[in-house]
Amino acid sequence: MNKSWWIALAVVVVVIYGWSGYNSFVSKNEAIDGQWAQVETQYQRRFDLIPNLVESVKGIMTQEQEVFGKLADARSKYSGATSANEKAAAAGEVESALSRLLVVMENYPQLRSAEAVTTLMSQLEGAENRVSVERGRYNDAVKVFNASVKRFPANVLASVFGFVERAYFEATTGADQAPAVKF
Amino acid sequence: MLKNILKTSGLIIYFLIPVLSFAYTSPGTPSGLVNDYANLLSVGSRATLESELLSFEKETSTQITVVTVADLGGDTVENFAVKLFEEWGIGQKGKDNGALLLISRDDRKLRIEVGYGLEGALTDAQSSQIIRNIITPSFKNDDYQTGIIEGVRAMMAATRGEYVAEPVDSGNGNFNLDLGWLFFVAFVILRTIALFLARTPSWWAGGALGGVIGGLISLFVGFLYTGLLALVILIPLGFLIDFYLSRSYKTHKAGGAMPWWLMLGSHHNSGRGGGGFGGFGGGRSGGGGSSGSW
Repeated sequence: MNKSWWIALAVVVVVIYGWSGYNSFVSKNEAIDGQWAQVETQYQRRFDLIPNLVESVKGIMTQEQEVFGKLADARSKYSGATSANEKAAAAGEVESALSRLLVVMENYPQLRSAEAVTTLMSQLEGAENRVSVERGRYNDAVKVFNASVKRFPANVLASVFGFVERAYFEATTGADQAPAVKF
Repeated sequence: MLKNILKTSGLIIYFLIPVLSFAYTSPGTPSGLVNDYANLLSVGSRATLESELLSFEKETSTQITVVTVADLGGDTVENFAVKLFEEWGIGQKGKDNGALLLISRDDRKLRIEVGYGLEGALTDAQSSQIIRNIITPSFKNDDYQTGIIEGVRAMMAATRGEYVAEPVDSGNGNFNLDLGWLFFVAFVILRTIALFLARTPSWWAGGALGGVIGGLISLFVGFLYTGLLALVILIPLGFLIDFYLSRSYKTHKAGGAMPWWLMLGSHHNSGRGGGGFGGFGGGRSGGGGSSGSW
């Protein structure tokens, strides 16, 4: 084989590498966005459940106005949020207010025995679990993308096409601690 | 240079270290729709349950599966259920119509995990009611058998009518696009190519063909390394195959035995064994369902 053959072969390899590399970045990036949409769907589902729960326990838990107020604030903050980061932060606030409410509810045995409340609780637990599953998958998608952007030699390609690392979803500060119950 | 070697070996070690944050360990491969690893069911009721679930799947295509494990290995029941669902792919792909009843004997915990496609039929509230009103009362009396069977029947009742199985083609001679037919077509194409390559005494055409196929794969699959790997493997493979074909064709023409690839006929076998468990279909779940303890 003469020189021009080798050059042609090298060009073909580089073009194919660039082409398939670009496509793989795009699809991994899209996977992250798609997964984020899943997370938002589950947030919405949770927020739709909260008014029902609040309505059914408000009459009995008259001394817990502070928790209800926080919950309402966080919800309106979420509906006003536009960027993904703002939404994540507001969702974190809802989460801690909600878990606070659930802990306080433990102190009202008459609530725990009511079938309607038990059903609502199981729906809320389901919503929480869905949120954490979809968030976990979001982070998995980010991990795959970030690894491909950072690993050599793909990192050269990524910087040529302008693909940068995506941020992980991290639990908001305080959300990992169980809320303290005051009497 | 040395620095680079150190760097890469560090990277390799980094990627070899298993992810320790997940405590989930797979209980194994499914042997059917009932996987009683913790031996909570008698042989008879296991068989009954299996056949009930199989005929339910045949009728509705919905896959309900029961898994009992001795313990969760320190994992939460929610995480274990999601990971197991993901690993086995319970339900049909696209419909996501699977449901899992997971019971951990020593942790005294259970969970109904519902696939995306059944979330409307078997809601969180219903799952929770099945657990609280049907399963756990029996479990508290150490009657696992009744609890499991009644619980699974309630799950079937809730999800019946949500999906209808598509008619399975019996493969009685009409050319549907089943696997056997695809193999047949691929075989004919390959044989034509092989004959062409064999008749040309040179052997570079095979390598070029390998390169073209590799290029196409990398363009359509779109994965960075698959494409390069396909090129690296397919080009020499094409050379080798063409080399072999041309040589064996030459000996054949010179009066040798007929090469095997020219003798292979065009028969294909289709038809699959019906009746038994045919594996899971690749369904997905997203944490829907409910958990409980006893």
